[in-house]
Amino acid sequence: MEEKSHLVLCVDDEVVGVQVRKILLERAGYRVLTALNGLDGLDIFSREPVEAVILDYSMPGMHGGEVAARMRETKPAIPILLLSAYIGLPLEVTSVVDLYMTKGEGAPVLLQKLSSLLQPVGAQ
Amino acid sequence: VNLSQFNRILQQVFLLPVVALLVTAGALYWQIRGANETVSLIQESDARISEATLVAKLVVDEESGLRGYETTGDTRFLQPYLDAQPRLKSEFSTLDDMAGTDVEQRRDITELRGEQQTWRDAFAVPVIATVRAGGSADDVGLNLHGKTLMDEIRKDIDEVIHNAEEHRAHRIARWHRQVRTVWTVLLLLALGMGVLIGLFTRSRLHAVSVAYRTSLEVLSRRTEEIFQSEQQLRTTLASIGDGVITCDVEGRVQMMNPVACGLTGWSQAEAEGKPLEEVFRIVRETTREVVENPVAKVKRLNRVVGMENHTVLIRKDGTELDIADSGAPIRGQASDILGIVLVFRDITMERKTQDALIANEKLAVAGRLAATIAHEIHNPLDSVSNLLYLMRNGASPDESKQFMDMAEQELARVTQISRAMLGLYRESKAPVLVDLREMLQEILLLMERRFIELGVTVHAELPSSVSVAAFPAELRQVFTNLITNAAEAASRGGEVCVSISPQPVSETAPGPQPPAGATVVIADNGPGITPEVQSQLFQPFFTTKGERGTGLGLWVSRGIINKHGGTISLTSDTSDSAHGTAVSVFLAMKPTINAGGD
Repeated sequence: MEEKSHLVLCVDDEVVGVQVRKILLERAGYRVLTALNGLDGLDIFSREPVEAVILDYSMPGMHGGEVAARMRETKPAIPILLLSAYIGLPLEVTSVVDLYMTKGEGAPVLLQKLSSLLQPVGAQ
Repeated sequence: VNLSQFNRILQQVFLLPVVALLVTAGALYWQIRGANETVSLIQESDARISEATLVAKLVVDEESGLRGYETTGDTRFLQPYLDAQPRLKSEFSTLDDMAGTDVEQRRDITELRGEQQTWRDAFAVPVIATVRAGGSADDVGLNLHGKTLMDEIRKDIDEVIHNAEEHRAHRIARWHRQVRTVWTVLLLLALGMGVLIGLFTRSRLHAVSVAYRTSLEVLSRRTEEIFQSEQQLRTTLASIGDGVITCDVEGRVQMMNPVACGLTGWSQAEAEGKPLEEVFRIVRETTREVVENPVAKVKRLNRVVGMENHTVLIRKDGTELDIADSGAPIRGQASDILGIVLVFRDITMERKTQDALIANEKLAVAGRLAATIAHEIHNPLDSVSNLLYLMRNGASPDESKQFMDMAEQELARVTQISRAMLGLYRESKAPVLVDLREMLQEILLLMERRFIELGVTVHAELPSSVSVAAFPAELRQVFTNLITNAAEAASRGGEVCVSISPQPVSETAPGPQPPAGATVVIADNGPGITPEVQSQLFQPFFTTKGERGTGLGLWVSRGIINKHGGTISLTSDTSDSAHGTAVSVFLAMKPTINAGGD
């Protein structure tokens, strides 16, 4: 169960959305940090021992692709899951992140993808 | 050049014979004057001969008188002698005068005079004295002496006469020579002048003929050039893709090219001389009113005129074509109108293409909007589905209530968005009253997400509601387009300002006034647009957005606004201090809708 205490960072400008996602992930046993924009997200990412990032694509100021690229510069090993309300993100964005999914695919898909990003570390 | 050459030659041909004849006349005059002098010399010789003869006669009279007196002693016989004496004196001096400078003659005359004097003194006077004294004068010696003296006199007179006659003969011979010379000179001059004039005239005529030939050559070259140029124009006209009709100034058809024949359905032969409005019948597409004849319009405005939009050409067989045309005056050298050229083309296909492009842009706008909407709906749906998952997987009643509240809140957002979306596609056939403020607010709401993504702040100055009659879906398309452009231009950190200013009818302002309506201004503080780009902005397929733009947005927008009887204009500044772009859209409250757009 020690994997369930992974520290996850959620970045999304949707107040309700990020709040719900936090509850969802905590129920699933993760510790969750949240940020409402890219800059705050990067700040937390550099300070905290974050183990995975769930990132929204369309955000004011700095979009998800840009945030992901900056995170890669500082801690390239941390897996990033990109969420988007759009279908068909540009390749230069999807190539930076480990996985991506469309909002509305449902909570089970999200939890499954997140655990797939964290599982290999423990399994190997 | 040729004409002045001709004139010079004409002058020369006139002047030269005149000069030549004057010279000839001068020469002849000089010659004849010489002959005349000779004639007067001959006359002078004649006078001298007759004078000498007179003297001889007087001498004879003198002697006869003396003989009679000597024989008779009667003084009456002495009368001729006495008469002759004074006359001889004067005749001698006359004779002497006549001799002039002739020294020999003068000497002869002086001699003669002396001898006569001697005869008188030495013979006549003593004889008279003797007879008067009653004596006889028949002394042989004395008479012999008198005879000798008289013989001398006679001889001298004869000599004088002979001398004068010689002179005369001499002079006559000279006169003959002179006359011959005159004839010769006359002949030679006539011949020379004739040849000269002939040669000169020939050379001048040659020059004239050269000039004439040159003129002919130039003329034939010009003719050939004109012919070629006309052929060229004719071919150009025939092969041109547009219909071309030329009319005289009264508006009668003169020429039609094949395309014009094809479009109107009239052949050149049928149409020639017919009034243009019979061959080229055009009406307005919507109202079916007859459009002003382009010939009349060109004559009225005296310049090139374009045609109104949506003109329909009614062909000879009654079928119709959408056409675009223009008319231009044909001007003479004094810039008076000689005729009118009408150029027109079938735009039926063009119109269809245009309609397709407009539909295409509509689809593109709809597509972009759909993506925005999907995004807007996806976010709340994601939250709702997560909340449902949480509730299903064991939540306390309190938690469930909280989750349901949150889900409701998110669903309200979805409803709001879908309602705005419904308004978007409420297509209507007739214009309806549209509240511009409401419409702009809805658009801004739908685009909120997009502004956030772009990092653009939006200010809306929508003080009061203004209603205009319009097609709402189309206006929405225009404003969405313009606001998207502004937001993209403003880019991160930029600002977009959307404002409405109502424009009431002014009661006091003079002159033609715009109708009551409202101006919507969409301004951004982006980098601005250069004048070169500005001039192309409203052209179809012009885009500054590369792959992301269709290049139809502003073109279609302008078409829609024109259709609404409104205007769209753009001002932009690229300076460092005040850069930015503002698009103004004026819409009238009760516009005249121009169906068809553009």
